[in-house]
Amino acid sequence: MRGAVTTLLFLLPVLVLFGLFRVVPVLGAAGLSLTDHDAGGGWTFVGLANYRDLAASRTFTASLRTTLGYVALCVPLTVLVALGTAVLLDRVTWARGWFRAALLAPYATSPVLAAVVWRWLFEPLGVLSHPSLVLPALAVVSVWKGSGYAVLVLFAGLQDVPSDCLDAARVDGATAWQRVWHVLLPFLRPVLFFVVVVETIGAFQVFDTVFVLTEGGPMRASQVLAYVVYEYGFRLFDLGHAAAAGVVLWAVVLLVALTQRRVFGGDP
Amino acid sequence: MVLAVVTLLALGPFAVMVVVALSPPGSPTLPHALPESLTLRNFAVVLAAEDFVRWTLNTLVYALVSVVVVLLSASMAAYVFARKRFRGRDLLLWTIVSTFMVPFHAVLVPLLLLVASLGWVDTWWGLVVPTLANAQAVLVLRQFIRALPGEVFDAVRVDGAGDWRTYWHIVLPLCRPVLATLAVFVFLWHWNDFLWPLVVTNSTDMRTLTLGLSTMDSTRLDIAELMAAATATALPCLVVFWLLQRHLVSALTGRGR
Repeated sequence: MRGAVTTLLFLLPVLVLFGLFRVVPVLGAAGLSLTDHDAGGGWTFVGLANYRDLAASRTFTASLRTTLGYVALCVPLTVLVALGTAVLLDRVTWARGWFRAALLAPYATSPVLAAVVWRWLFEPLGVLSHPSLVLPALAVVSVWKGSGYAVLVLFAGLQDVPSDCLDAARVDGATAWQRVWHVLLPFLRPVLFFVVVVETIGAFQVFDTVFVLTEGGPMRASQVLAYVVYEYGFRLFDLGHAAAAGVVLWAVVLLVALTQRRVFGGDP
Repeated sequence: MVLAVVTLLALGPFAVMVVVALSPPGSPTLPHALPESLTLRNFAVVLAAEDFVRWTLNTLVYALVSVVVVLLSASMAAYVFARKRFRGRDLLLWTIVSTFMVPFHAVLVPLLLLVASLGWVDTWWGLVVPTLANAQAVLVLRQFIRALPGEVFDAVRVDGAGDWRTYWHIVLPLCRPVLATLAVFVFLWHWNDFLWPLVVTNSTDMRTLTLGLSTMDSTRLDIAELMAAATATALPCLVVFWLLQRHLVSALTGRGR
């Protein structure tokens, strides 16, 4: 009996924190998305009307496409840059720790800082005021800010590639490209998938850089899903639609995570 | 050689930021030319004009309180999850894992309504407390404690030590490397966080550094002063990162999470 009480006491802080600030808001989000909240503070149950509104809204469906476009730019770019850098880092023998730390430095700073500095770097190019160049520009910021993490994970993965396989391929006369394609990549597959999934989930939730750099513009060209949630909730104070858009974002992220589970067939 | 170029690209924006921050007003500056002389004037101007001290205090409270509470609460729960059998354990753990998957944007509105009903909007309580539920910390620590050799726990049980003594004298010291790593992560995450401070604070006094920087970005026209502000906000986390990067690196590269 005393044991049970002690167990409960050990769990108590986490139970309270998660119960109150995670479980309750998650249930609240689902509930809120089914209601209409008027200015007087009243709530009306409206069923799935908010979701139907979103599906019918040009702005919202456009934001889904924009988000997909951003993910399609950002993820391959990050992974390719990171993979190339990791292979280079693996071949360097001196000052490796310094390179690694320097490459990771942007990862330790805030997206807001990245946005403030890059806005100024982008200024002479005018890319932020061009609807078709704004997503690539945001992707560049994200690659700068985030690929250091992917480099490290991939670099660690490279350490597990048995060197005799690479040596054997070299002796057999394989070119550098063939060695990467036929030897490195098959060994790296699990790590590569991990990186792709982490980057994809992160890219679907992009917000800070969009908020600071573009506010969804120009002409809504960078209005991503997370930004739409914010705009509904905190600019239009339309809480029902904000919650519904949030649930859609959640569903998308969950879908990506489940796909990952299938691919890995294991750990969440 | 190529790697050196990539590294320069990674560090370049920092260098630009610092050089511009040090440029005297009105002088030709990057990207057109290097400034002819360097000055700390911009830092003085920004520090005097904005409430940087207060913002730094808010950010420190946000980051440090979070580190302490997250590490303590998560390690206590992780110990029980790893070493005890009790009813509902798997369900609890599963619940924690699944909240990990929920994007913060999805719970933003209900979380803020909750904080408002507690009367915590625009206070330190509202800023800090709702962000203390950290699923990753619980999961990483549970994994680590589970991998500790069982003999250690058997030995202290024979000595008659209770759970509290076991936790304090055995679990916490053994977890020190993981705790250090998590501390860096939690610190950096909170120091750099933007979204939650953005929605939960209203007054200038309650801003964190990232939030202050973003408002300056939309109001301040002098680029040198803005870059000085940016440098000032980034410096502490770059220093923390540089001192502890070894921990960070070993954590990031330690397979999985």
